[in-house]
Amino acid sequence: MRPHKTFRQRLLKIGFYFILLIIFIYLLFPFYWAVNSSLKTEAQLQMTPATMVPRDPATGEFAPTLQNYRVVFDNQQFVRGIMNSTIIAFSTTALALVAGSFAAFALGKLRFRGKKPTLYLILAMTMFPQVTVLAGLYAVIRTLSLPALISLILSYMIFTLPFTTWVLTSFFRGLPMALLESAQVDGATPFQTFYKIMLPLTAPALVTTGLLAFIAAWNEYLFALTFTSIEPTARTVPVAIAYFTGAVARQEPFGEIMAAAVLVTVPIVILVLVFQRRIVAGLTAGAVKG
Amino acid sequence: MKTNRKSDLAKREERTAYKLLLPALIILLLIAIYPLGQVFYTSFTDRQFASGQETEFIGFDNYRRLLSVTVQQLEPLVDEETNQIVIDEETAKVIYERPIDVLPREPIRYREYRQFNLMGNRYVLGATDVDFIDAIKNTLVFTVTSVFLELVLGLGIALVVNSNFKGKGVTRTAMLIPWAVITVVSARMWEWMLAPNRTGMFNMLLDRFGLTEGSIAFLASSSFQLPAMIAVDVWKTTPFMALLLLAGLQTIPDELYEAAAIDGAGPVKQFFSITFPLLKPAMAVALIFRTLDALRVFDVFQVLLGQSEYSMATYNYFQLIGNRNMGLASAIGVIIFIIIFGFAIIYIKSLGVEMDETS
Repeated sequence: MRPHKTFRQRLLKIGFYFILLIIFIYLLFPFYWAVNSSLKTEAQLQMTPATMVPRDPATGEFAPTLQNYRVVFDNQQFVRGIMNSTIIAFSTTALALVAGSFAAFALGKLRFRGKKPTLYLILAMTMFPQVTVLAGLYAVIRTLSLPALISLILSYMIFTLPFTTWVLTSFFRGLPMALLESAQVDGATPFQTFYKIMLPLTAPALVTTGLLAFIAAWNEYLFALTFTSIEPTARTVPVAIAYFTGAVARQEPFGEIMAAAVLVTVPIVILVLVFQRRIVAGLTAGAVKG
Repeated sequence: MKTNRKSDLAKREERTAYKLLLPALIILLLIAIYPLGQVFYTSFTDRQFASGQETEFIGFDNYRRLLSVTVQQLEPLVDEETNQIVIDEETAKVIYERPIDVLPREPIRYREYRQFNLMGNRYVLGATDVDFIDAIKNTLVFTVTSVFLELVLGLGIALVVNSNFKGKGVTRTAMLIPWAVITVVSARMWEWMLAPNRTGMFNMLLDRFGLTEGSIAFLASSSFQLPAMIAVDVWKTTPFMALLLLAGLQTIPDELYEAAAIDGAGPVKQFFSITFPLLKPAMAVALIFRTLDALRVFDVFQVLLGQSEYSMATYNYFQLIGNRNMGLASAIGVIIFIIIFGFAIIYIKSLGVEMDETS
């Protein structure tokens, strides 16, 4: 009986690691393919069948090239896109954190009339479908004739501010009331209590929500495409990549597109890997009850 | 004296609260609530962008133009001389009159959307805006299929990662990578993998295994377009689903499984009597988030299909920016809002989700 059982266990273990391998391939292969393609020349990209690593068309030897990356760094639209996206994502994050932590402190710790409706409004807003207001928001922006960068920062508040406020509210609520009371006894105003005592304590939650806001803003495409349609210099990274064309009009330059794809993905992936615990906690905050 | 002081404090606290809330509320009013009202109002007008034309109130005309559908029966063609039904000689099928002859033209012209047979009769389904009806259908098929696949795959991955093995941390890290890839970027990565000849990864593989000639136009042929969109979306968002479910799994205490094992329950029984019921709240929330998100899908459709096949959101964008038809675009926005709202209500009612954590 015994040898049979260990054989069975071994089989189960092999099966398990086989499934794990498939999961890994599924999750990572498309990204690998992008890296692989970004290291190929135009001629290598056109080889049929496509090769799993960059190979010399004649000799079949391993022959990667960094040519695509050089071209991408020389592409003005792409470089400007990175700058625009960086400005927009940082400003969005800062604004969402400031306005969000203000509101969250009020909602989480202070007593006032109309608290419940405000909470419901914020919660409803976290589910708000952005595309609904596309036409209306576009009209507002055109009426105020806001520059595209400003209008993108403002409009990204639709999906960052309610989420930030909601998560921070539950965080503030978890802080002991005694802190607030003792500060009041010491004669601190509620606002002083907020930024001198409460805010430093919420640093972990600020990092989490800030990261998620940053990634969401970096990722956004619908508003970016719409609001930069008349102002191409304000295009963000996703728009630049969607419109990516080569220096010479020809087939779509997929080698360069893949190089650009790798370049904009790697920083975010590093950011995500460094802060993975916080991000997972943030993604699941409020979503799953213990 | 004391009560006075207390109410003073309370008043001051209330004033501070309002001040702190003000920036957030002003921003939300400016970018969400006012534009939402604007969209509702504009949807009843024929407002155009950048045109000198006066905007007029046109009631429900935009909605009628977008949503009108009709079903008309098609009569078989009858030969005038022999008085017999005409049959195609090659296919041996009955020839019917042309849909354009039966579909109404007034007040708005109907176009053919689909033909179908029912109880031996031939019918044509006509719509005034075939593209929008198609966009709704595409979005619904996309949403239901991709969310279902994400749930199944996400649950599988979550269960695997939740068991104890070497390399658990690495796996969880790898799960975050597709999530971290910008949606537009992932769309273009897949566009290249789906290239219509053997330079593309999929055609290369299909050819290597001898399944096809290696020249499937995944993004151009109508039977592959939606499945391709679903594949891209499932790759990108399954990790998110898996993470939410994993968090749910980790809240289930081990003692329950130990007790079940002592009682002789096998893994399958344990899954259905412990894991599944206790995971239901987490699944419900993950489902809601993903469904509402999938219903407004824009990025993949816009990048990969452009104007060849629409989702509701890309059609909205096309009417607004391409056609400068603000009234119609607003009406589309309202319809999307209502559909998403409907889904949210159905979910919350049927799953009994308690969204409110506050008291």
